Amino acid sequence: MTSPDLETAEQHLTLDVSARKSAFRDFRRALRAVARDPGPDEATRLALRAVDPDLGYTELMALRRLVRLEEDSASKPLRVAVLGGATTIQFVQLLELFLAAHGVAATFYESEYGVFRQELLMPGSGLDRFGPDVIVVATDSRDVSFPAFTSDVKDAESVLAREAEGWAALWESAATRHGATVIQNTFEVPPWSVFGNFGLRHPGAPQNFLNRLNAWIAEHAPPHVVLHDLQALASRAGEREWFDPRFYHEAKMPCGPESLVEYGHSVASVIVAIRGRSRKVLVLDLDNTLWGGVIGDDGPEGIVYGQGSGEGEGYVAFQRYAKALYDRGVVLAVCSKNDEAVAREAFEKRDMVLGLDHFACFVANWQNKADNLRQIAERLDLGTDSLVFADDNPAERAIVRRYVPEVAVPELPDDPAGYIRAVARHHYFETVSFTREDGERVHYYAANAKRSELLSASVDLGEFLQSLEMKATVEPVCATNLARVAQLVNKSNQFNLTTKRRTAVEIEKLAADPDWTTLTVSLSDRLGDNGLISVIFLQRQEEALVVDTWLMSCRVLLRGVEEFVLNEIVEVAADRGLVRVEGIYAPTPRNGMVADHYEKLGFECAGEEGDGSRWTLAVASHEPREHFILCERSSIHA
Amino acid sequence: MRDRLQQVFRDVFDDDELEIHDAMTAAEVPDWDSLQHVNLIVAVEAEFGVRFATAEISGLKADGQNVGTFQALIEQKVRARSGS
Repeated sequence: MTSPDLETAEQHLTLDVSARKSAFRDFRRALRAVARDPGPDEATRLALRAVDPDLGYTELMALRRLVRLEEDSASKPLRVAVLGGATTIQFVQLLELFLAAHGVAATFYESEYGVFRQELLMPGSGLDRFGPDVIVVATDSRDVSFPAFTSDVKDAESVLAREAEGWAALWESAATRHGATVIQNTFEVPPWSVFGNFGLRHPGAPQNFLNRLNAWIAEHAPPHVVLHDLQALASRAGEREWFDPRFYHEAKMPCGPESLVEYGHSVASVIVAIRGRSRKVLVLDLDNTLWGGVIGDDGPEGIVYGQGSGEGEGYVAFQRYAKALYDRGVVLAVCSKNDEAVAREAFEKRDMVLGLDHFACFVANWQNKADNLRQIAERLDLGTDSLVFADDNPAERAIVRRYVPEVAVPELPDDPAGYIRAVARHHYFETVSFTREDGERVHYYAANAKRSELLSASVDLGEFLQSLEMKATVEPVCATNLARVAQLVNKSNQFNLTTKRRTAVEIEKLAADPDWTTLTVSLSDRLGDNGLISVIFLQRQEEALVVDTWLMSCRVLLRGVEEFVLNEIVEVAADRGLVRVEGIYAPTPRNGMVADHYEKLGFECAGEEGDGSRWTLAVASHEPREHFILCERSSIHA
Repeated sequence: MRDRLQQVFRDVFDDDELEIHDAMTAAEVPDWDSLQHVNLIVAVEAEFGVRFATAEISGLKADGQNVGTFQALIEQKVRARSGS
């Protein structure tokens, strides 16, 4: 039987955040009871589900105290160092809370206030001993040296060059000393200017200088430096609102407490993106979400959409926003209570920004939306934690929050004019790179649907694969594919034999090491280009070639890529004069699909390896595996 | 007023048993450090819709200041806001 306190907490979590704010004390009381019985783990789970950037500073700090973050021995926590120009204690508490709510376990190191330069540059510093994966340089415009007001362009340029050199040296040190990814703030322009509007043009004015510095950073920061746009965040909050001088003078807080919530949430979103944990799919309801009215009652001509009414234009704007997300690589799907034919008719008969082609999955029926969302995730071969669900109906939102809590369900306001902000303010789809594959990802889903059609029409698998006319390109890791490789290494869960996460810096280093061979495979076929879909890192260990990393995008499963890659691996081993290939399977909750990967490829089991298994294949006895992939160009042995 | 203030103290110091009284000072509450002080100010400002000046924020922990003087200050600000 569920305890009444547990039930109170669960009920609370089905509510929209605006309603949760006023009921927060009851929720907190229920959580404290849950922490006693059934226990702190349960209370932590519930508290993390409650975390939302629209809660206030006080509520989030209360949640932070309720949460017990214990080191999860199964997964190595991310080591995050926060080097602040100002006080970072509260910032770190909020950052930790938002990260935990996103399922990112982290341990933290904080430098003393204002000594971030020394920490980064000096050997033997606390930072050195900590060994960070990510360094958050939590600086702001108070950490910048400005030119004198009397400066001309030339003077200002030389101050800029000196300032730029200083930041570049810190980034360089983060890469070479720590192999860490850096999160670098842009600098917020202060809300007042002694030059007034003229400050934008005069090279000696802070406004002009900070704009130049921000532009320099955006252009020159190397790949291991991820930018966090503090300037944009402060402007969105309203620069006057952002900074609260009372708490700066009194407690050296970098911004007002409520702004600190935005700041912590925003930096957490960037770290979540670095870890490949950003959301991937926007699932949309139809009636009163993409248009006004009910298509089943009002008909295609009767719904409110487009010119003629402010409200109708609000729906157009929201569709445009969804379309822009689609163009950026966010997958769109529909989940609506409707007759499918009627729902489709709206897109066929009305000229709207979104068309049926934009949806990778179109689910319109009368079943409950929790089950439908699970089904959408399954069809897209993604976890439910990849989905965001936008629905105007609070009852539907409540059901989904209750029964599929991993799905993010933002509160949509009554007025469609507020829909974009309601979705955008959560930073669900934050990204740290944009590759060709991202822009075209949405097409892969459509092409995949076509391929499965073809498969059902083909008599046997071989014939089907042949009919695809697949071509593969094999290349080592290089500057042009590093971003995509790092993305796959940090994101792939299912087809991933060892799930070793590495930063771009670490991957670059490994690619340059003569003991290592890196392979990347890009695949195209007559239906479309799949982009870079497989990454393999091989390490020579005495007479063996050890497969340290072997991962593949699930969208090319059962296409013979595994067989193709094995032949490539054995070729590398033979070229290097090695006698065997060794593979490791390290199980995680998500990669069960590759448990028998090596067995299927003819490896012999060589015993246990941690929780998993070790496999071996003699190079001499390997017969090239049959596949239907033409290798277009191979520069791996160059 | 006293009940609401007490609730804010309980929220901030995470102690549902906490009983505040006029003569209580910051030194008597074990967790009342500079960090929690900021959190208390933020929570009181949000609860009562008031705003403290910088000197009032730091002054709260000074000698001669206690929960009674704090409550009086809040009441004065609430009155000033409602113009009565």
